[in-house]
This record gives sequence, structure tokens and C-alpha cells, in this order.
Amino acid sequence: MLLEFELNGKQTRVEVEPTLRALDLLREVLGLTGTKEGCGRGECGACTILVDGEPVNSCLLYAAKLQGRKITTIEGLTAEDGAKELHPLQEAFISEGAVQCGFCTPGMILSAKSLLDRNPEPDVQAIEEALSGNLCRCTGYGKIVKAVQKAAAGGGPGAGGSARSGGSG
Amino acid sequence: MSRENLRVVGRGIAKVDGPELVTGQAKFTGDLKFPGMLYGVARRAGIPAGRIRSIDDSEALGLPGVRAVLSAEDIPGPNIIGILPPFDQPVLASEEVRYEGESLALVVAESREAAKRAAAAVRVDIDPWEPILDIDAALKPDSRKIHPGGNITFSKKLIKGDVEKGFAEAEVVVENTYQTSFQEHAYLEPETVAAVPGGDGRITVYASCQSPFHIRGHIAANLNLPASRVKVVQAYTGGSFGGKDDVATEIGCLAAVAAVKLQKPVMIAHERGESIIGSNLRHAARIHYRTGSLKDGTILAREARIFLDGGAYASESPFVTMKALIHAAGPYNIPNVLVECTAVYTNKTYCGAFRGFGVPQVTFASESQLDELAAELNMDPLELRRNNGLQAGQATATGQVLEKSVGLLQTIDRIAERRGQASRAAPDEERWLYGRGCACLLQGISNGAEGIDVVGASVQVSQDGSVLVGVGLTDMGQGSRTVFAQIAAEVLGVTVDRITVPHVDTDSVHDSGPTVASRSTTVGGMAVYKAAGAVKASLVKMAVLMLNCGEEQVRLEENFAVRTDNPEARISLQEVATAAYWTGFPLMHLTFSRAPDAQFDHETHQGNIYIAYNFGTHLMDVRIDRLTGRVEVLRHLAAHDIGQAVNPLGVEGQVEGAALIGFGMAHLERIEHEGGCIQNANFADYAVPSIKDRLPTETIIVEDPNPTGPFGAKGIGEPPVAGTAAAFANAVAAATGVRFTRLPIRREDILAALEEQ
Repeated sequence: MLLEFELNGKQTRVEVEPTLRALDLLREVLGLTGTKEGCGRGECGACTILVDGEPVNSCLLYAAKLQGRKITTIEGLTAEDGAKELHPLQEAFISEGAVQCGFCTPGMILSAKSLLDRNPEPDVQAIEEALSGNLCRCTGYGKIVKAVQKAAAGGGPGAGGSARSGGSG
Repeated sequence: MSRENLRVVGRGIAKVDGPELVTGQAKFTGDLKFPGMLYGVARRAGIPAGRIRSIDDSEALGLPGVRAVLSAEDIPGPNIIGILPPFDQPVLASEEVRYEGESLALVVAESREAAKRAAAAVRVDIDPWEPILDIDAALKPDSRKIHPGGNITFSKKLIKGDVEKGFAEAEVVVENTYQTSFQEHAYLEPETVAAVPGGDGRITVYASCQSPFHIRGHIAANLNLPASRVKVVQAYTGGSFGGKDDVATEIGCLAAVAAVKLQKPVMIAHERGESIIGSNLRHAARIHYRTGSLKDGTILAREARIFLDGGAYASESPFVTMKALIHAAGPYNIPNVLVECTAVYTNKTYCGAFRGFGVPQVTFASESQLDELAAELNMDPLELRRNNGLQAGQATATGQVLEKSVGLLQTIDRIAERRGQASRAAPDEERWLYGRGCACLLQGISNGAEGIDVVGASVQVSQDGSVLVGVGLTDMGQGSRTVFAQIAAEVLGVTVDRITVPHVDTDSVHDSGPTVASRSTTVGGMAVYKAAGAVKASLVKMAVLMLNCGEEQVRLEENFAVRTDNPEARISLQEVATAAYWTGFPLMHLTFSRAPDAQFDHETHQGNIYIAYNFGTHLMDVRIDRLTGRVEVLRHLAAHDIGQAVNPLGVEGQVEGAALIGFGMAHLERIEHEGGCIQNANFADYAVPSIKDRLPTETIIVEDPNPTGPFGAKGIGEPPVAGTAAAFANAVAAATGVRFTRLPIRREDILAALEEQ
């Protein structure tokens, strides 16, 4: 089937098998390997993408469900023009030490982005709630919470809603 | 090696590989694509024990997209892998099934889905045997032998002093039996390899792995190729924690054999269920302890009998046995110690390395004993530990006298200063039970009793003054690339942003042994320190000529050579390096760091074993909901003597991450078997801690310099697992008044015990 959707701010048209998973469409067909597969059952959150701004496990989603939607992957958080500027969440994850192996990081950052877009000043409980579907085995999570708080504080209201990505800005 | 005037070492800096990880640009093995790549999926036994009668691949071979089905006879070499003797694990089994995850055949197909479908279509006829499922069954004299040598994998003793005499003199004796359960590593990236034939008689294997040279050796042997024809490249690795040694070797060999046979790239990527069933776990343990002291709390004797359930293959069981043995007495000055430790084979998923390596199991048991003793003596638990705590100049359980870097008492004192009053229930607060637990530990740094410990590091300065550092130890997320960059930066006066520490490629770095035993910073860091020092000598020699001064008047800092007597006189390291190149001064060195060899008696384990120990004290305050058994951790202090923090931000990350793995082991995580088969091989049923389970860990860094480490540093990767698990158990006991002797202590266990009260 022919799929048309907005991917990281760009209109995308691609012919796919209707039974393809969104995760495989992104990784195998479109070459966006920043989205990771950790369990294939929606239990770890490594494959999180944003669909119209909402975090979704792309391993549980048929590619066909992307029809007409706005999709943001981790690749959509940095400027498309190749500038080196990072999203405030990406900066904060690095500076706070919230990244170790980095395999959960793309999904974690996208879940956090969705939270900050909806709630620019989340309390700890809101952060916990928003990231409870994203497992991390390396960091113990403390520095992840700090990074989200830092990104929220640093950029002021709307910090997480970088319009650059086009995903939900 | 002066610790004063440090510019880079000791500063908390962001990981050097942070940008590619937060943008999704870092390539993990599964992100690699090669033209014509095929995918391999193993047909696993699915039952825990039996005789293989036949393997029929005819149906599988007929399915769409299937290119080949490999069985044992397709492996050119000995079809054996393992970490150390006895090498006892087949790559593909052909005669006997020893655990449910046993790989019997590998299907290679054009897609993962096609390979998976075909693997299910491989017909295997197995004559099932009654599986041997626990330690007692394995040890029965008439038990079926899982391996030809019997069911004891490894058994050793540690004998210090005269333990019977010690107990005879003791006025108070406590005794108990403890158990711990199998734990899964649960790194977020499942094991993945990709083998790519070179067309030149060589093969390159990209792998998510921990010890690339180990993999190279096994692949070469099983392909019947010289090791020099095999190149293993570590891709970005999504966590390992000890878990990506055996299994990366297994699938590395399988992919390489398939790739050579078909002359096509072959990727094997485990699904989560395979990752849990088909790769090693943390050993379950049963540990009997006896501890005797005088009435004033002076511990005179300790005795421990430890059994480890190692599952179907030896893996690291021999070394885990030794590590548990050596650490069982705890970080105390005890004259009489007897420990026996035995690992056995059972028909379950094999056990091997997992962060802590036998130390968390014995520390939980040992520290539970200390609290039981403190209760008998009516003594403050921390005071009892302090009174018996190891100090410089005293001997460990192996009789090794540690002259320096024994910071245990400092960690206890820092905890005592910070602990404050324990939280208590308010008068009207009947629902919550409050408790405080503490634990002390030690963890040996370096390979120690496990063998020679050598790391080779190369440091290369380009004409532009930038630096390339090559070390044969892997960064699996723990941050060793950053630590090595900081050490090179400190020595060479180059800023970290001009230093590159690539992932391990076996073609370009020296075999530095496995990345284990919290040894990277200490032994690896020392090799980088030395190699950087050798290159620095060339730069300084050149700068002396250019600045027209004596050697002692030159300092390298911030990418410049500067005259100390006249800071205005300075030349960029780019100019110095370029001049050094054209003068013919060497700008690359390969240098080795060799830890002093362990020397000990193999019958008694008396002798000098580790080059250093990390010492730690943890304190945990909890409250427990009487109605639900739910535990809230209110406070967690983790003090560790790490000699010198190279990167305090990274140290905190290691402590916090290890702590949550220890908490998982103590409270949440348990692999459930039924009839030898794992019942919870997914993240819905196996409880990996989520962000809601995180601990309020406060890291307290104690720095009692270690003469064997760079700038005095010691490792920190493993030790907090043990401290957290043990402190949790003691805190729960304090809150409930019930001594739980089995980990994990889950909410339902607590609730059941409270209801029984």
C-alpha cells in the first residue's frame, strides 16, 4: 500500500506491505536506525516514536497506522540542515550523565519530549509517569529525571516543543 | 604520580560518546547493513535434557527465503566454546541437550522472519531425560552426569587460621542459611553479531560484546582459521554487565561459520526471549554461614559453605566460585576463616559473569550475619562493623596484607556522619513500618586469582596535535572511553575534545584480556598513562629545543607547550608535534601495564590475590506498608573508596546504576523455572526496575589513593551491587523484625511474613 505521512517535518511517500511494523519501516526501509528494538513486545520502550506528539511503541504499530500522521523519531530532534545544535533534552541528557550505553536513550528522550510539549514544567511524579514505559538498565534513572528537569528549566515554557522537528511543535 | 594540580582527572565531564548516542547516530550492530545480508535464527531444544536422536531440516529448507540450515557437522573446527577450562559448550549440540536454550541448528534466510519461521520448522527428535534441576539433585552420588566429569563444576576451599579453635573461643555464635535467585542482565540491547566475509580469506565480525579477543579466538578455532584472519570489531554495545561474553562467542561463531559457508554477510540478532533463555544468568546460591565473636563484638571466626547453581555449562563458574570464596569473610579483620565454595551443573540456563561476580550473593549472606550478630550483642550494627573493619596493615581473608588504599573505615565514618536519625513512624501512623539497614563490602579489583592481568595501550599523536588512544578493553556504556581520554589528556596537556578513543577493533589494538573485574580504569588506565607518558617524552624533547629551555621548564597544558618560568613563551602542540614528526621523534607508543601477579596457595587460597580492593559502606532507610508489603526506600547512602575519582559524574552513574541492579536482585527480580524451563523470559513477567523503582542513591566518594592505579584510581563498576542488595535485606529485617534469608525479598514475601506474625 502507499503510505503518506510527515516524517521529522518532511512529507514522506513510501510503498509498503500493510503488515510491516512501523519499527521496521523506519529502520529497514527508511534507514532511520536511531529507533531501537529492545523487546518487540511493547515492554521496554526502546522503540518509542512520537505519533502526532504522543509516544508510541513502534514495535506494536503497523506501518499502515502512520497514514496521514506526523511522526517524530530521534533523528527529527536535531536540525535537518545538518547544524550541530542539539535539542535541550539531548544537551541535558549528555551534561547530566543520563546516558550510559545509550540504547534506551532515543526512546527515553522522545517520551520526555512528548511530556515537555504537553507539560513544560512537570513535577517528578509527572516525569516518572511519562517515562515509566521506558526501561533503562544502566543509569538507575536518577540522572534521567535530573536531565528532564534541567531541560524543562533551561528552556523555559515550551522548551521541549522545538518546532524544528515538526513532529508536534 | 602527583594528584595535586590535576586539570582533567577528577573533573566530572560528559561522556565523549554522548552526542552520537543522544541523536541516534551511534551504530549498534543491529543498525549495520551489508549488501546481500542474510539472517540466522537458531532452532533451540525447548526441553532441558535428553539425547538427540535426529534433526530433520527438510521441511525448513523448502520454505521461502531459506538459504541453509547448519548443524554441528557444518562447523569446521572443534565445535566447542567456553570462557575457561573446562571448555564444555558446543556451538551446536548434536548428541545431548543440557538446557532448554541449547542451539541444535541454525537457519539462514533472507529475512529474520523467514529464518524464524524455518527454525520452528526444523524437526528435532529428542529422547527426553529427567532433568537435574537443583543443587541437591546434582550432588546425589547416583545422579546422572551432565558432563563426563560429573556434576561438580568447580570446588575450592579457603583456610585461614584455625576456625574450630576460633569458634571454641567465641562467646556468641550466629548461624543461618541464605539463598539467592537467578538474575538476568536485561541489557536493553539484545545480543547481536554480523559476520562479513572479506573475499580475501579474512572475515570481519561486528559484535555487541564485552571481550572481542575472546570471541576472535573462538571464531578462529571453530572456523579452523588462523586468528590473524579473523577481525572482531566491537560496535556500540547496549549494555553488557558481564553478559555478552559467552553468548557473543556462540552467535559470533555461528554467524561466522554461516558467512564463510555461504560467502554472504550473516547477522544474528537475538529476540528478548532468546536473550534471557539463551545467555548466562547470575548464579543462584545457597550459603550456610556461622560467625563467632567475643561479647565485645570482636569477631574470631567465620565459616561459610557456598553452593552455586551454575546451570548447564561451566562458563565463568570456576572464577565466580573463587571470587565468592575470597570475598565471603567480608571486609573484616578475622583471624580464623574457613570457606568452601562449590559450583554445580544443572539442566538450566548456564550462569556466568554478572556485575559483582559472586560477591553480591555472599555479601548479602555475610552482612545478614553481621546484623544477626549485632542483635545478639545488642550493639549498633555500624559500630560492630567498624570495630572489626579491615585497616591498612591488616590481612584479608586470604592473608594478604594491604598496606595502602584501605578506605573501609573512612566509608563507615562518612556514612555515620551523614546518616542522621532514622525515620520513625509518627504516633498515629500505624500503617508503615520503618527500618534502617547498613552493609559493608569489599570487591577485588583486577583479574587477581583468575590469571595474568596485562593491558596494552597505544597512544598516537598526529601532526595536528590530536591524540588517538587504543586500548583492548571495551566500553559497553560504563564510560571507559571517557576515562581513558581524561587520563591521556591529563598526561599530554591536550584537551579531551582533541582525543579519540575508538571502540575495540582486534586488528588495531593489543589483546588486553577480558573487560571484567572492574579493571578498566585501574589496569587499562595505567597502560594509557604509561603510553601517554612515552609520547609526552617526545613532545617535551621537541618543545625543549623549540622553547630553548630545560626539560623541567616545559609544561604541556591546554594544547600548548608552555615555559613554566615564562608563561608568555608557549607553542601550540600542533607545532610541537609537527616539528617532532619532521625531526623523527616517535609519536606513537604501545605500552603495557601489568598488574603484579597473584601468588597464592591453591589449596587454602592464602596469598596475595588482588592488586587493590574497592571498599564500601551502604545505608538504607525504608518504610514498609503493612497492608500491601510495599517497600519505599527513603534514603540510600553509598560510600565507596575508589582511590581517586577520574570522572566523578561517571562514578555517580556507575554507583546509581549498579545500585538499582542490586535492588532488583534484592527485591524484584527472579528467573522462574518450571521443569527446567524459564517461565518469565520477557519484561512483562520479569521485573526489571522501572523509573518508579529508582533509588534515592547519594554517592559518597572516598579517595584513599591506590598505588597500583593511575593517579591513585580504583574501579567502581561492580561493588555497589553487593552493598545495595545487602543493605536492603538488613533494612527490611529491621523494619519488620523478620530475617528474610532468601533474595529477592518481594512484596508478597513481606506481606506473607507480616501476616504470619
